[in-house]
This record gives sequence, structure tokens and C-alpha cells, in this order.
Amino acid sequence: MTPRFDQLLDRFFYRPDEDEGPYLANAPRVERAAHAMEEVPEEFLSFSLEGETYAVPIHAVREILKITAVTEIPRAAKNVIGLINVRGEMLPLYDVKTRLKLSTKLPQLRGAGDVPRAARIVLLKDLEGDAGILVDRVSGVVKLQLSKLEEAPDLGVERSAIAGIARRGEDLFILLDVEQALS
Amino acid sequence: MSEPRALNEFIVEANEILETLGRELLALDQPGGGEADPDRLNAVFRAAHSLKGLSSMFGLDGISKLAHRAEDVLDALRLGRAPLSATLLDSLGQAVDVLEHMLGAVSRGEDQADLNAAADALGTELTRLATGEASTDADVLDQVGIDPQVRAVFTEYEEHRLRENVKKGVGLWKVRAVFSLTDFDVRLADLNRVLKPLGEVVSTLPSSQPGDDASIAFDLIFGSARSRTEISSVLPSDISMEGLTKRAFTPTPPPPPSMPARPSPTPYNAKPLPSWDESSGSGFALPAPPSSSPSGLSSPSRVQTDASLRSLTNTVRVDITRLDGLMNSIGELLLVRGNLERLAEAARNATGSALPKLWGQELQREARTLARRLDELQKGVLEVRMVPLVQVFDKLARLMRRLVRESGKEVDFDMSGGDVELDKLIVEELSDPLMHLLRNALDHGVELPSARVQKGKDERATIGLVARQQGNHVIIEVKDDGAGLDESRIREVAISRGLVTEEQVEEMDRRELLNLVFQPGFSTRKDVSELSGRGVGLDVVKTNLQRLSGLIDIDSRRYAGTTFTLTLPLTLAIIRALMVNVSRRTYAIPLNAVLEIVPVREDALRTIEKREVFEVRGQTIPFVRLARLFGLEEEKRTVHYVVVVGIAQQRLGLAVDELLGQQDIVTKPLSGRLRGTPGVSGATELGDRRAVLVLDIAALLEEIVRPQLEPRSA
Amino acid sequence: MSTRKVLIVEDSGATRELLRAAVETIVEIEVHTAISGFDALKVLPRHRFELIITDINMPDINGLELINFVKKNPHYKDTPLFVVTTEGREADRDRGLLLGANEYVIKPFQPETILGLVRQYLKL
Repeated sequence: MTPRFDQLLDRFFYRPDEDEGPYLANAPRVERAAHAMEEVPEEFLSFSLEGETYAVPIHAVREILKITAVTEIPRAAKNVIGLINVRGEMLPLYDVKTRLKLSTKLPQLRGAGDVPRAARIVLLKDLEGDAGILVDRVSGVVKLQLSKLEEAPDLGVERSAIAGIARRGEDLFILLDVEQALS
Repeated sequence: MSEPRALNEFIVEANEILETLGRELLALDQPGGGEADPDRLNAVFRAAHSLKGLSSMFGLDGISKLAHRAEDVLDALRLGRAPLSATLLDSLGQAVDVLEHMLGAVSRGEDQADLNAAADALGTELTRLATGEASTDADVLDQVGIDPQVRAVFTEYEEHRLRENVKKGVGLWKVRAVFSLTDFDVRLADLNRVLKPLGEVVSTLPSSQPGDDASIAFDLIFGSARSRTEISSVLPSDISMEGLTKRAFTPTPPPPPSMPARPSPTPYNAKPLPSWDESSGSGFALPAPPSSSPSGLSSPSRVQTDASLRSLTNTVRVDITRLDGLMNSIGELLLVRGNLERLAEAARNATGSALPKLWGQELQREARTLARRLDELQKGVLEVRMVPLVQVFDKLARLMRRLVRESGKEVDFDMSGGDVELDKLIVEELSDPLMHLLRNALDHGVELPSARVQKGKDERATIGLVARQQGNHVIIEVKDDGAGLDESRIREVAISRGLVTEEQVEEMDRRELLNLVFQPGFSTRKDVSELSGRGVGLDVVKTNLQRLSGLIDIDSRRYAGTTFTLTLPLTLAIIRALMVNVSRRTYAIPLNAVLEIVPVREDALRTIEKREVFEVRGQTIPFVRLARLFGLEEEKRTVHYVVVVGIAQQRLGLAVDELLGQQDIVTKPLSGRLRGTPGVSGATELGDRRAVLVLDIAALLEEIVRPQLEPRSA
Repeated sequence: MSTRKVLIVEDSGATRELLRAAVETIVEIEVHTAISGFDALKVLPRHRFELIITDINMPDINGLELINFVKKNPHYKDTPLFVVTTEGREADRDRGLLLGANEYVIKPFQPETILGLVRQYLKL
């Protein structure tokens, strides 16, 4: 990660003692202007789940949060880990691993030891209501060319939650369908 | 002003005008005939006129055109050129509805093509109704001789009112008052208040010959049948009066029936103060003719004058989202207060030096004062959010009048309790469910007049909409004295739709049976006719109410009628809650649903039909272990802490592990995705930023107390 | 630079602001507003107004009565006065002119219409 990129990610992190967390909309877009390409590639946020690299369009990302206290919701939908308090707003936290069949049960977020240190909550914007997903690690912001999108091959993963596969050089990014992942 | 801000201002203002229009139209629709209150008619006219002008300035031609047509009708009405008929009121009422829809479309930025078409048709209809005959009588005002300078200032409408007064044979006076520039509006309001019961103030003319620069003079043109002495007796000493007309009014044949035989008018010379004493020979100082305005004008118009002056100074329009913001801030303050109290407690209990103890005491005192002030602030903000039900009741009344007329049934619509206040958000959500229930009552409850007579009932049915406050709740009843529900039919339908089995139905008491109508899948056929709108049944009404933490119950007797009773909390915003621990998780139970807390021994529990119950003072109450219900780890215990909750008649005992105390919390709704979670109505934030779920007592009562029915799936 | 004061009398808040926005584009003008006839009576003595623009349809005293008051009052009778009416109320407009209003403007109007008249009467 370049130092500049580091700064970019740092702005997204929510610190509980701060009153205001910055929103993506206010993030500087300096790099974009600097690289004018013929096909303007879309920017994606990439993160890892069980060692695999996934990505979502950056305009669907509201914030990236450190893991905060999660309140269990009795009798809620199966892939809902619980409720998180984002500066007074009560939002659901989903587990996408079970949805993608990467794991079989919901993570227990009782204490700090339950999740890897690099784990984060990616807060997504959605028409039905904003929601967060739990990820193992946030890798960074990447530019991907959508024209080169491939259909997801049968990886033994639930297909409908995946929008496609994108490559950039040697790297493979699995694009998550936000709406499907949250259902 | 920026574009969107200007439009917003327009929408708010247009909305207020429409509300006034609707309200005043409703008041005009009184059964029994009689002359319509001229002030009211004028107010409706002015509202339509204002809307026309306002919407034209913002380029909203559809709205402007329709408002213009309505204005024409109302002008004809107030100038006496068209009679006030039920059809006319209907059409005007429809116009208000269409205008409201158009305004709604504008605020959402939607296309109005089909609305415009409807508006055009309605406009043509209105124009047709507005063409009345112009009066061809010679102008009575010429006959009585009014100073032409005075006449020149009158609008067409004011002249019409003058004419009406003259024709009725009441005296016309000019009441002159000189007031100071600082408070003339208040003094004028006072003057209007004393004059209104005695007659009609046709016009208020500011005069340009005051004594000095700090004062202003007014001439009030006043028509009254009372004697001069009577009128001057109510006037303050610094206010004078003189007659306005130089000659008595001589009606041309045929004379209106209310007038006595024509006396010959006594000639008057142009004395500056012609007097209309009771002893004068003309027949026009006699007791007021039956239909004269003075007796007809009572408090409503008086209040209206006051209202039109007061509204310039006393009210502020507030966006409800700003109030939500205030509530949030108060919620935060409550958390801080809680923390302060804890710190104070800790300081007081500190061992060692005496200083922290002292500070602790001081802190506690301050924290207590803070608590009191916060309480006041919170009450204040809550009050601001409260609006009277009359807002939604008026809309419903207008709708009902139209529906009743279309239905061909004879119905009296009784409304009361419009002054009961509820949180604005709740009131907004109530119009749909109430509308649904009222339509139901009209469609399925009320029988045709012939059928009613056959059953020995009065031809006219009554549908009632009644609201009253009871403690922390508001009770709203929708009742009819119609056909009532047929229990055997309900049984049949429920079984045939697979909602219950024969055995289950046998065990139900009457109320449980009636409540089956709220089950999804119960209503069918064209129950969901055009009138019911979105094709939804009573189950949706119930769900919508539950989202507001409300309950609905039904009682009905065949042939006698049906009553729906809605129970709603006063407010959803800040509530007092009982905090409990269940399996080491914390939950909040709204205190207004908590009846008592009792210890219950494990061995005192009984089972009735697989349901656990316990007894309190002879009453058997269902018992539920929250830990088990929520799928959490259960502890073995000999004694349970049971929180007995209840709304209306239903009771339930919730077994919890620990009682943590009471707290004021700001309830936040769960986001859209989590809405359907059973038993949970929202969440709140504690001092340590933890989110804590708020239990939905109404839903739990529903779920546990009626176990025969399918529990809702997650 | 001394400003030229204009009084706008109009009870509709939204319309009032539209009028103000239009007239204030002329830099030398300072706009004061009144929300009703009564309010106008209070505001008039406070400043030396060089122009009055008034609506007719107002709650407490209608615009015509205000016009009459202004034009008969020795302090204000020479102040130019525009009356704003809506289409269809020609009778009121005529009376306004009879009572001494200098110009009339019909709603809905374009800002330029008012501005032209304002410039003309204030010689700007």
C-alpha cells in the first residue's frame, strides 16, 4: 500500500471517541483526476473473506468501521449477526460467509478474541436500509475495468450473491452483489 | 431564496391553505339548512383565491386552474348568486381532495398528467354549478344613501354584505375608534369581540384623519338590528358611533315575508348624527327578523376573527425532523445525566479523604437538579410533537360524507374527541387504518334503510368515531350500529381457509373468535373493493398499528353492530423503560406496559393446555421464559423474577434473570430490514454506547396469549 | 450611498419572498415587508418609503382599504403604489386604480415586469 492510499483508508476508520466519522462522499478524489484513462474504470473496495478476495463498488460503501459491540437480535433472520450502533443509528450486521457458503455458522462476537485483529465492518448503502457486513480484512481501493468482467464459474459457491469476476493483472477479484448478499 | 427552498415554502403554505379550506368547508356542511355563515364563506373564498395566486406564481398551472374554478364558485356563493347545495359542497370537497393529491405529486416531483385530467373535469363541473343569476334588483344601497366616498372603498363582496344587511332591515352604523399605533390590532380584536354578538362587522376602514402621528383611526361599518343604546352600551367610552345611512330602506314590491307592512319612512335631513332610536317610527328597529345574522353568528366566527389576528404572531412552523433532532439531543443529555449520577455516587462512597465525599454530595445535588430540568425540557419537546387528532378526523369526516352520499344509505356520522392529542408521527400513520375501518363500517356494517326497518331498527344508522385519553394511552373507537358480525360465518370462513381447525375453534371464546378477522388470509371476495383501496385486509390494519405499539380489538353482536377499539401510546419518542437482563443480555421493557413485578416460585407454576401459567391474586396469567423464547441459555432457578405486562385486558408474565432499574430511553426504530423481527419494536443506546433492544409488548401479548394461531415466523 | 426603501405588503410567505427576491436585484433598493394590512400600518411610519407594493386579498383589512388610507394620508399620499392582483378580479383592480394606485401587476408575473415598473418610478 502506498502512503497516500494509507491516508485514504485511515480517513474511513471510525473511532468511537470521535463525534463525527467522515463519509466516503467527502473523501478526496485527487487520484481520479490525476489518471485520465480512455475507459474510466470503476473503483471498488476490496476485502478478504476466508482467504479469498472480494470487492464491492465504492459508491455502495458508506463507511468502514472497526469491530464494535454487537447486540444479538433474537429470532432475526439467519444471516444477521446482530445490531450495531453507528453514532445513534441502529443498523444490522450481516454475515456474508454463510451466505456464500464459506462457513457454516454465524460468528460469535462476544469478545475481542472472537475475530481477527484486522477484521472490519464494511457499512453498505442500500435502498432497503443500510447494513454492515463482517470481513476478515480490508485490502484497499482498486480500479477495475467492468468491460472485462467474467461470469462467475462454478466455484461451489452460491452463485446469486456474486455479480462476476474481475481480473487485474495477476489478481482475481470476486464482485459481490450487495443486494443479494444482504438478503 | 434557492429553488428547492422556495418550493418547500410553497408546499408548506399551500398545505396550510388546503387544511383551512377543508376545515371550513366541513363546517359549512351542517344539516338543517339555514343561512351559511358569511364569514366562513368568505374565509373559504379567500383560501381558494390565495391558493390560485400562490400556485400561479410558482408555475403550477394545474393547481391554479382548479383553484380558480373553486374560487369562482365560492365567489358566486358569497355574493349570493348561487345557493349552497349539497351537490355544490360535494364538488368543492372533491376539489380539495384533488388539490391535495396534486400538491402531494408536486412535493414528490411526480408527473401529474392524470391528476390534471381529473382536475379539468372537476373544474368544468364547478363552473357549471357556479353560474347563477345575477341580481337584477335596483341597488338598495343607492336608496339608503351612503356617502359615496365611503362606498368607493368597499370591495364587491363588502357591498354585497351591506346590501344583505340593508335588505334584512338592520341598521347600519359607523363605529369610530382611535387607537395608538402600538396596540391597535389588539384593541381592534377586542372591539370586534364585543360587536360580533350584536351584529356583523362588514368592513374595517383605516381612516386617514387621525389626531396625530402616533395614532390611527378606524371606522367599522357595522350592521345590527339592536338599538343604538344597546350597541353603545357595549362600547368603551372612547369609541363613538353614528348612523351610516341617510334614509330608511324602502323595499320595492313584493316585500320579503319577514318584513311588516310598509310604514312610510320618516324623512331625515342630512344631520351629521341621524339617530335610530328604538322609539323611531320605522319598523326596522323592531326585534330581529328570524334569519338575521346576529343570532346566527356565534363563537365560531368570533374565534375566527381572533384566529386571523393571532396567527400573525403566535405560531411557528416546525419540521418534524427538527423535533426528532431535539429528541435525540435530549436522549444524549439523559445519558450524560446518568453518568453524572454514577460519578457522584462513586465519589460519595470513596474512602479516604473527605473532599471527594463532599464533592460527591454536591454533584448529586446538581445531578438531581439537572434531572428535573431535563424532565421539563423533555416534556416540553414532547408537547410540541403532539398534535390534535382533529387534523386526521376532519379529513375522514369529509371522506365519509362523500361516501355516505354515494352509498345511498342513511347514516349519521358522529365524531368526538378531536381535541385529543397524539405524537404527530402516530397521527400521520392513523389515517389509513381509520379510513379502512370506517369504510368497512359503511360497506359491511351499515345495512340499507329497508333492511334496517325490517329488523325494527331506525332507518338512519350511526357510525361513530370517538377518541379519548386514558392514562398513557389514547383509545379510539370506530363503531357502527349495523349488521354486526355473524360468528358462525366467521367460524366457517376460518376453517375453510385453514386458519384454524374445528377443535381449536371449539375452544375459543367469543372474543377470540371475533379476532380471527385480523388473521392474514381472512378477508376475501371483493371485501377489498375499490373502496378499500390497496387490496389489503384487517390484518394489515393490525400490523400497521402494532408498528406504532398499538393494539386493536373488536367486539360485535349480530344485528346490533360492531365496535373496533384501538389503543395507542401517547408518544413513541422518549419513554420510561424497565431494564432487565435475560441470559446476561440487556433488554428494555416500556414501563407503560408494566403492571407489576412479582416473584414466582418455580414450583408454583402450572400448565394449562401446554401453556405455563401462574396465579396472582386469583388471576391466572400466562407465563413465558424470555430466555427460552429468545433461544438463549436458561438458568435453573427456584424463584423467577416475573415482570407482569399488559395492555387493555391482556396480561402476560415475562420471566427475566435480573432487574436493572428504570431509565428514560430514546427509542429508535430498527432499520427497514429488521422490521419484521418478532417481539422487538426498536432499540436504544445506553451510556456506554451499547445498543439495547426494546421489547414489543403488544406483539408478545399477541404471540403468547393466542397460541392457537400460527406464531409469526422470523 | 443611501438606499431607496420599498415596502412589500403580501400575506403569502412564499409569494412575498419571490417578490423580495425580484426587487432586491436592484442594488440600491432595501426591501421591507409587511405580512398584512395591519402590519403595513405599523411599518409605514417607521421608514420613509419610496414605493409600496401591495396585494389586495389580505385577511384583516383588504388592500383597497390600505390604498385608500395611504392615498388620503398627508404623509404618504405622494408615494407611488403598485397593486398586485390575480386574473379575474378586475373589479378590485379598477377600484384600486380609482383609489389612487399608480400601477397594477397581475399574478403570475415575470420579475422583469415588476422590475421595469420599479425602475421607472424610482428613476433607477
